[in-house]
Amino acid sequence: MANRPQIRTAASALIAMIADEYASSVSRTMQQPYMFDHLLMQVHCWDTVVGFLLAGVGNVDLRRKTNYLIVDSKTTIKQIEDAFKEFTSREDIAIVLISQYVANRIRFLVDSHNKPIPAILEIPSKDHPYDPAQDSVLSRVKNLVSVESVASDRR
Amino acid sequence: MMEDQEEKGNAENGIGRQKQVKDEYLLQFLDSLDGYLTLLDSLSSTLSQGWLELASARHAMGASRINGALLDLKVHAAATSLKVSEQDVDSMESQPCFTLCKWASSDNGERSSGEEKSLSPQLRHRNNSQLSEEKVSTRTGTPLILVDQQQRQKSLSVFGVLVSPKLRSAQLSFERALETLVEIANLHTTMLSMFEQVHKELENTNG
Repeated sequence: MANRPQIRTAASALIAMIADEYASSVSRTMQQPYMFDHLLMQVHCWDTVVGFLLAGVGNVDLRRKTNYLIVDSKTTIKQIEDAFKEFTSREDIAIVLISQYVANRIRFLVDSHNKPIPAILEIPSKDHPYDPAQDSVLSRVKNLVSVESVASDRR
Repeated sequence: MMEDQEEKGNAENGIGRQKQVKDEYLLQFLDSLDGYLTLLDSLSSTLSQGWLELASARHAMGASRINGALLDLKVHAAATSLKVSEQDVDSMESQPCFTLCKWASSDNGERSSGEEKSLSPQLRHRNNSQLSEEKVSTRTGTPLILVDQQQRQKSLSVFGVLVSPKLRSAQLSFERALETLVEIANLHTTMLSMFEQVHKELENTNG
């Protein structure tokens, strides 16, 4: 019992979000969209974060720091990494939702996170559906299974 | 000779029990993996519905009424949060268990419990109507269902007083997505825990 790893419990913890905006050049160059095209463009604009904010997860603290980051074409890898490191080190965040597309851009950092809290969940975005093969946890499992099958073949 | 046979029998029983434990861990791991993938699929559908409803709301209300410039950057606490508790897996290990607390209000001078949903894999409480019937009033006498509606309305009011019904539907879709995500988070920790166990067992077998 003395050697059990400590789980950080909390009565009220936050959900953080790192989601991507539609970064295709199409949405940037269309200056005079037709009605239908305008609708299509707008479908892709950071709806994931807006949707979850509607569900009440948005938090702005006294330092005006939010618990979400919207990644667009101007966001650098360093900014994403800094946000990820900040969210994973904050005591008041229990789950970090990250678009799988964004997670792929900082894959090394996501894969190296091995604490139970916050839980890192990779979610789909509108233009990038979820791919189980790229999921951090599932790819770890796949590696283990393939290593074991090679080892057992050799035996 | 009898003693040798007894020892051999005990050894075989021990190996049999070990194998049983390994199979159990493997089965639990595979179950959690299956649940994880199923829930992710469900999440993708729910999110797609939410995105479509949000797009319809934007089409009905106009892009200027639903855009990022309206996001509330005033200091405010999250209305929906998580409760993290410890769940014992065995005597040597524990794992976190996430519970979603939707629309917890701090407006009445005290923190009401909001709509608490424990979504661990073992307790699949999905009966919303049952949860509503069991709700107790806050100290001020306001029913919690009304508090939930007030909080929802407050969240919608960022986009104006009169909003499209599609925006309300989008809000509900994303709330459902949140519930699914909390289930996924709990399965995620179970899966990782079982994965570690299986990995350990395989190493012991090979070593």
